[in-house]
Amino acid sequence: MPSAQDIKQRIESAIPGAQADVEDYTGGGDHFRATVTATAFEGLSRIEQHRLIYAVFGAEIGGPIHALALKTHTPSTITTN
Amino acid sequence: MPSSDFEPLPMSSSEATATAPAAASEQTNPIRDAIAQAIDEHRVILFMKGTPEAPACGFSARTVAALQALEVPFAAVDVLPDARIRQELSAISNWPTIPQLFVDGELLGGCDIVTEMYESGELAQALAEATTA
Repeated sequence: MPSAQDIKQRIESAIPGAQADVEDYTGGGDHFRATVTATAFEGLSRIEQHRLIYAVFGAEIGGPIHALALKTHTPSTITTN
Repeated sequence: MPSSDFEPLPMSSSEATATAPAAASEQTNPIRDAIAQAIDEHRVILFMKGTPEAPACGFSARTVAALQALEVPFAAVDVLPDARIRQELSAISNWPTIPQLFVDGELLGGCDIVTEMYESGELAQALAEATTA
């Protein structure tokens, strides 16, 4: 069962320049909430940004990882928010 | 009468419902075809767990609530009755989770994106374009 820390490390090692904050919001190791900021998201639609993150986990999403709620930012959007 | 080996998608909608192809050989993929047809025929269509009246998952419930808050008519398909609906949908959309909201044939997003767009006003704008275009 992955921990929030595992999820964070996998996102950060798979996506160049990503910085992830991950919370296991049920404590059960299967429902996570992640906020990810990455330069790799520049120029991508929100759909494409989320797909990049989902791709890190493949079939684990909907399997052992029941839910991975996402919020994505680029470094430029985070400074304007 | 042509026989069907596939039930129509479990749609609940204020609009017309999609029907599955009447017959299919083993080479065709009637579920995928029915999903693609439903996406094509409805400007706003939500694939969800449960129904708008009785959502079976919090993420689906939140997405329905955003659509209902904007008072936009939408078609809904319950993916739960048959696991193949979800498999084929994700194969079409390249999106692994449920719910999935399509507007004008394009995936707009899942619960997170729809909620974010609702809060920013982008959802109202996207749906206004869809319903008046």
